[in-house]
Amino acid sequence: MAKILIPTPLRQFTAKRDSVTVPGATVGEVLAALTTEFPDLRRQIFNDEGKLRSFVNVYLNDEDIRYLGKDATPAAEGDTLSLVPSIAGGRWGRRFRLPTPGARGGLR
Amino acid sequence: MIRIEPEPWAAMVAHARASYPDECCGAMLGSTDGDTKIVRQAMALENAFEGAQAARYELRPADLLAADKAARERHMNLIGIYHSHPDCDAYFSITDLRNSCPWYSFVVLSIQEGEFHHANCFLPNADQTEAPKEELTY
Repeated sequence: MAKILIPTPLRQFTAKRDSVTVPGATVGEVLAALTTEFPDLRRQIFNDEGKLRSFVNVYLNDEDIRYLGKDATPAAEGDTLSLVPSIAGGRWGRRFRLPTPGARGGLR
Repeated sequence: MIRIEPEPWAAMVAHARASYPDECCGAMLGSTDGDTKIVRQAMALENAFEGAQAARYELRPADLLAADKAARERHMNLIGIYHSHPDCDAYFSITDLRNSCPWYSFVVLSIQEGEFHHANCFLPNADQTEAPKEELTY
């Protein structure tokens, strides 16, 4: 049994609830129970092979489960699970300047 | 569509200018009114990319978790991510797309020679294959 905090954009799949408490003795069981109760959430979190999408990290309280026991990490009553995305990026590979508004002569 | 209120917008532009020539990144907190997302607070986050940051940024998941907690405490929602493109237009690069998340709006600020030039917002899909533009006002 654990509480899962639902990120804002995913609340459309959880009847607008910002947190959900579901049964399960491990993180894997809790996530399975979550997506059983809210099937539309499954595609947001898992890929077609049933694995967590590459950008999804799961935190048990303040710890990434990858550094705990992954899916087998015990989830006790009072624990909180969070779904936290990996986000990065950058303009890599592209560099040019645009005309400055009001500037004469176009590209500088 | 997404609307950024004047105060967070000024903070985002100031953050992007101060970080130039490197990329900056941060979280946008706010609320939703019908189909409109309203950004009420910008939270600057550390660019955690290990390497040259002029063309790359990376957010620590732990920092995003903290931003989400801060939003909940302030009765707001984490609704978007912003980052800057120094001396480059505000497009959604392949690097942005392959490291994106479909849950949030992504605002990109173009900074040209240290000054704000223009901005766009994107909504990447779950498969990280495309990111259509989202109407942005600020």
